[in-house]
Amino acid sequence: MMFEPLQNSTLNYILVASALIVSVVILIALHSSPPYVRRWVIAGVTFLVGLYVPLEFYIPRHNFLTVWRDPLSDLVRVLAGFTIGLGIVNLVIVHGRHILQRTANFPFSLAFFVGFISMAFVGFLHHYKPDLWAQKPGEGELAFWSAAYKVFFEGLLLPLTSTVFSLLAFFIVSAAYRAFRIRTLEAGLLMAAAIIVMLANVPVGTWLTSWLPQDGWLKWLRLENAALWLTTQINAPAMRGILFGAAVGGLGAALRILLSLERSFAFGGQ
Amino acid sequence: MQHADWSTIYPYLVWALTAIIGLGIALASAGKRLHIRRLPAIDAIEEAVGRATEMGRPMMFVPGLAGVDVPTFQAIAIAGHVARLAARYRSRIILPVTDTVILTMAEQVLREAYAEGGAPDAFNPEDIRFLSGDQFAFASGVVGLMNRERVAANFFFGSFAAESLILAETGQALGAIQIAGTPSTLQIPFFIAACDFTVIGEEYYAVTAYLTREPILLGSVWGQDVCRILLASLIFATTVAQKFLPPSFSNSWGCEGDG
Repeated sequence: MMFEPLQNSTLNYILVASALIVSVVILIALHSSPPYVRRWVIAGVTFLVGLYVPLEFYIPRHNFLTVWRDPLSDLVRVLAGFTIGLGIVNLVIVHGRHILQRTANFPFSLAFFVGFISMAFVGFLHHYKPDLWAQKPGEGELAFWSAAYKVFFEGLLLPLTSTVFSLLAFFIVSAAYRAFRIRTLEAGLLMAAAIIVMLANVPVGTWLTSWLPQDGWLKWLRLENAALWLTTQINAPAMRGILFGAAVGGLGAALRILLSLERSFAFGGQ
Repeated sequence: MQHADWSTIYPYLVWALTAIIGLGIALASAGKRLHIRRLPAIDAIEEAVGRATEMGRPMMFVPGLAGVDVPTFQAIAIAGHVARLAARYRSRIILPVTDTVILTMAEQVLREAYAEGGAPDAFNPEDIRFLSGDQFAFASGVVGLMNRERVAANFFFGSFAAESLILAETGQALGAIQIAGTPSTLQIPFFIAACDFTVIGEEYYAVTAYLTREPILLGSVWGQDVCRILLASLIFATTVAQKFLPPSFSNSWGCEGDG
């Protein structure tokens, strides 16, 4: 551990406040600097951090760079924390405007504010004061705000996300219908392969070819064997081939980002 | 703490591949002329922007579900190109994000792209929307936006998961022209089934080189292609070796084979 947690709370508060002030000053300085300065700062930081990570990984065992790994991870978390604030501001501005201007979509924005404020309120109370304004919970009972949080999270949010996920079943059917329309040789092959794999995964499919022998070359005509062959000998190599290509592409893209060669796109200016 | 294991072949392989890509960049910088094959999906971007403009409806660009990583960075770079085209026609792009870091990055890139396209006033920061960090809350938010705004074109570039088909099928139902690109192998079939054009696998990382035709970027793509040829040869050679040579051979490379 490079930095030990401070025991002196006053000093801790002073350091946190100083760090916040320094961060705000850096943000203001970056914001008011000309674009070419910002570009150089971004390119420099990208290069240094991008160089640090592979070097730390490839220098064997615990090395002189390893001690900086945790502080850097913390720094990334702090930066992400700043941007979460920006995300909330973005949501409030967009939905606030809809409500103030009474646009056609303002009920959705109202739903956002109700959901956001109530979830945040209940979440904070559940975490810090679960029995505020309520009776003390009995043995084995949940405190009022913890129960409310459970209702909001497990009773509302999880079923809602599961509902959206379940829509996938219907979308798969409509997408499969389009994909399997036999218009070309490739679509025909796709359809044939899909029928074999689907049938092999249901009992009736394996029953259809169960009369074929378990040994000899005829065993490959049994649907479960044909499906296994298709998935392991045709599908898996093709997917791995795409994965290999993408992995090398990712390496090249990472190198371009590290060297800021993508600057014409990412940071403006040709 | 995890570190590279230099007793295996893997770290050497990664550095060798990096060196080859670096060589490609160096050759391109020295003036070697390089060619990149046609990518119909990327050629269709201008057509999609034009169609959305003609219909007077906005476009949507979804940069995937991941945070700051290489595929998302590529996606934001492509979004910059689409925004530059949109600025030319004074069209509107809605860009929903799931990560707040990407929100700030995307806003900056699109603001600059609209300025470069000659229409800085056509950029509306409220069109860069943070919806949710949760996968399906984000998906339902995007689907809602698509329906309310009646988008005419959808661009799906970046890392996607199960929500890919929900997004693409909704766009399909709306009649939007859809172009997708992802390195996520499991989502490629869904995009192929539901989108008009799809960029797959390694093509995804060649898009910026294809769009800019910058020699240095083309050099990196050339280097990647050399790497792929070498890797394919290595796979073929090791397959043959594993078939005909004793298991001790593969073990001596630091590869755990099953014989």
